[in-house]
Amino acid sequence: MRELALHILDLVQNSLEAGANRVLLEIIEDSSADTLTIRVADNGRGMDAATRRSVIDPFVTTRTTRRVGLGLPLIDMSTKQCEGYLKIDSTVGQGTTVEAVYRHSHLDRPPLGNLAATVKTLVIANPEIDLTYRHMVDNAVFSLATRELTEILGDMPLTHPDVIVWLDEYIAANEANLYGGVQHENS
Amino acid sequence: MTVNDLVGTLPLTVVAGQDRLAAEVTGGYVSDLLSNVMGFAAPGSVWVTMQGHQNIVAVASLAGLAAVIVAGGAVPEPETAAKAETEGIVLLTTPLSSFELVGQLYRSGVKGQ
Repeated sequence: MRELALHILDLVQNSLEAGANRVLLEIIEDSSADTLTIRVADNGRGMDAATRRSVIDPFVTTRTTRRVGLGLPLIDMSTKQCEGYLKIDSTVGQGTTVEAVYRHSHLDRPPLGNLAATVKTLVIANPEIDLTYRHMVDNAVFSLATRELTEILGDMPLTHPDVIVWLDEYIAANEANLYGGVQHENS
Repeated sequence: MTVNDLVGTLPLTVVAGQDRLAAEVTGGYVSDLLSNVMGFAAPGSVWVTMQGHQNIVAVASLAGLAAVIVAGGAVPEPETAAKAETEGIVLLTTPLSSFELVGQLYRSGVKGQ
């Protein structure tokens, strides 16, 4: 994948397909440790140990349309190319946490891509999911929770056109602020 | 032309799929982006890449490729070779760079499509 944002969409999609209604998506950029971490924690149905070990095998898939699945295998590959790793913790009946870690400065690390558009898409495509997004760049933090948004909005749905326009600008502005408001590879 | 013809004339080492070298080679493709290979490599092609992850076996299987050549002296991961063997994918390595190998393949009559 050319952008990590596409991996993020894949990961959250996995959570939804596992029946999760609560998802925490974290992006942690730590310049002192030189790491970029993507963490997705859900309350889906979880996996047993054998299934958990097999999910980075591209020939193991829940797909029925073809016998190859490349979501997690591609993330595994991209982390290894960047001196990182993919870690999956899961408990049946409780949920799954997937952590993809990259060396931030690695030359082969794909850019994060358009995070603002990705997060907006995730929020409005799944208004019934309790999604919390948190992006940390060293000491700066931006977080957004659909539960808080719906409380503020009251009867107005998350998918209302005015809300979408506002969300677009709100996320983009806050993402830019994380990098000191300057132009950045991800903005 | 078969994979075996290429193995006989170019500096290629067979890592997996020894029993499938009779496969016909109808073209060639070079890329390190797996999604690109899935979209554009024609069935029957030899694919030249520097990726050594087992995902290359999955891509070769999906795209129906004649062989995967890991170039640049890169060493495929152990699970990649094992996977290629069980999935019936020919996996070759070469010390040549991708550029050099593709040049030699082209001179041997393997063309893009």
